[in-house]
Amino acid sequence: MAENDLKIGAALAAATCSLLGVATPATSVAAEAPSKWDIESAFLFYGESDSRVKDLSLSAQAARDFGDDRKLGLDLSVDSLTGASPNGAIATGGAQTFTSPSGRAVYSTPAGEIPLDGTFHDTRFALNGNWSQPFARLYTLNAGLGFSSEFDYQHIGGNFGITRDFNQRNTTLSAAFAYAQDTIKPVGGLPAPLALMPDAVNDDEDGRPPNRLGGNDSKNVMDLLLGVTQVLGRHTVMRVNYSYSDSSGYLTDPYKILSVVDPVTGDLVGRTPAPGESGPTGVYRFESRPDSRRKQGLYAEMRHDFSGKVLQVGYRYSTDDWEVDSHTLESRLRLPLGESSYLEPHVRYYTQSAASFYQYSLANTAPLPQFASADARLSEMSAVTLGLKYGRATAGGNEWNARLEFYRQTARAPADQLIGNQVGNAQMPDFDAVILQFGYHFKL
Amino acid sequence: MLPSQSDVSRRVRSRRRPACRTWINRMLSGVVIGIMTSAIASAAPVSDHLDLAQYRGQVVIVDFWASWCKPCRESIPWLNELRARYAAHGLVVIGVNVDAERSDAEEFLREVPIDFEVVFDPQGELAKRFDLQGMPTSLVFDRAGNLVETRLGFRQAMKAKHEASLKNLLNNTGH
Amino acid sequence: MRKLLLLAVVCGTFTGCANLGVKPWEREVLAREDMQLDANALDTAFDDHIYFSKEGASGGRGFGGGGCGCN
Repeated sequence: MAENDLKIGAALAAATCSLLGVATPATSVAAEAPSKWDIESAFLFYGESDSRVKDLSLSAQAARDFGDDRKLGLDLSVDSLTGASPNGAIATGGAQTFTSPSGRAVYSTPAGEIPLDGTFHDTRFALNGNWSQPFARLYTLNAGLGFSSEFDYQHIGGNFGITRDFNQRNTTLSAAFAYAQDTIKPVGGLPAPLALMPDAVNDDEDGRPPNRLGGNDSKNVMDLLLGVTQVLGRHTVMRVNYSYSDSSGYLTDPYKILSVVDPVTGDLVGRTPAPGESGPTGVYRFESRPDSRRKQGLYAEMRHDFSGKVLQVGYRYSTDDWEVDSHTLESRLRLPLGESSYLEPHVRYYTQSAASFYQYSLANTAPLPQFASADARLSEMSAVTLGLKYGRATAGGNEWNARLEFYRQTARAPADQLIGNQVGNAQMPDFDAVILQFGYHFKL
Repeated sequence: MLPSQSDVSRRVRSRRRPACRTWINRMLSGVVIGIMTSAIASAAPVSDHLDLAQYRGQVVIVDFWASWCKPCRESIPWLNELRARYAAHGLVVIGVNVDAERSDAEEFLREVPIDFEVVFDPQGELAKRFDLQGMPTSLVFDRAGNLVETRLGFRQAMKAKHEASLKNLLNNTGH
Repeated sequence: MRKLLLLAVVCGTFTGCANLGVKPWEREVLAREDMQLDANALDTAFDDHIYFSKEGASGGRGFGGGGCGCN
């Protein structure tokens, strides 16, 4: 049977980048030559340890000033994703077999290993445009549109914002609103919430594997951002943003499952596929998340110059009604090397608490919860990034740069959720990743 | 440096004036700025003080600029043009540079030449005296020495209007 | 949640601090490209994309302000 899985895995959520977080053309004015296309292009490789996700990405951001501070920004990126992602099931003493997302094939995981979804390959294309212009001396308006597409996911969104300067432009207040509509069309259709993973069978009369709700669903995301930027001194500038985000619709990951375990031993409940069929050798259920998520965040950042070196420090606190609370602390230090090059070390620390419905596994006889997910992205987890960037200016005023970063994510299995043999043996899908980027900044 | 009393010239009219016009009084009583005296790589004359009394009878534009000011890359060529066109009719253009580092100004001048006189104000004393509200700022003085306009910022869209009002001032030979 | 809003309001009172800041002619450092709040835009866009798909929270950086303060 042809393996035509096109699993999205990690990229599912990736398509829904908040437009408010995407780079917009600089509405602050820096000392550059006017009226040319200013292009930042880069090639990026992202690779996780243990044959997990690999991503190759090509990206370009072009900005152009049309005079009198009217600016256009265009961002284009293409991503190619391959590799495997944890499917949410826990590692067990024996080999495990799962039905693939299409519902038509199976894949297996060796004993003692964290199950990863079978090989998949997907290409994502994203395009964003943004226009900003002054209106009256102290006001700037901006508006943008964004679009991204991959095999099973599409995103379209718009944003609008306004800034107003005070105190001889030492203070800037900004407000922005974004709205996005995403469509999810998973391979094999949408699984019913917490439905049992079925055998790999031929499609039912509707041309779809059983236990599926329908072909596609959608979600809306509304974002609001309020910010204050303040010049603190000749060498220091800072900003503080408050953000509010409201997502509603289909927020579940249609490819993720939970292992169903014995309530005493904590071992995977075994299962035999129907005669003549291939299918899961354990009992697994598809996850289910609420259909709404409200987030609030507070972000503060400061840039400080000391004799040509620039220190940037940023902190973000985020909280939501899924009870995922997170703290991010990040810093970059730009160190000029002579006249034309620089080194920029980068460090980032991230920590989050588990979602209220995060479950390490599901006990067999317990009543089914309304929502449950074993996705490590919703677990109690922390991550560290260490990186270094090097840039070199060319004679023509352009710049080459290269960036190498190491990322390590470690998650913690909630002690109060571990049962029987799981205690002391819980394995979380921790991983390391490398980011390697080569960029060229030039003017046309 | 102390204001030079010898720079005091005609008294201003006695009727009550808006606060901005008292600045010209201070200028007339002589604002002397101690500046570096090294020559710069530009054809424009360099000055180490700003004394507007000598330009009485002419229309004067004093333009505050800096190497880091992006709109200045457009406003300065335009001022060069105005000067070329109207100098014979009595227009004087003076640029005041507020760069803290003289070398930054010199580098800018290599890319954007200035055909008019440049005064250096690295400590921002002149800028402070005129209480600049933004960059760039152009101060326009009529033939009588009154400050008639303070232009904040530079926009391509305003060029025609500014030139028209300049022609008006130049045509006004009396007071 | 209430604490968060209070914090945001407190930070918003920056607008009342007219003493904070610099004169318009003192912005030579703030005008530099590496002092812009949206410098590293491409890097942060890539990073945000990666962290969004690998972590539970996202966004919030925003835009506007700082720089040379011209026009």
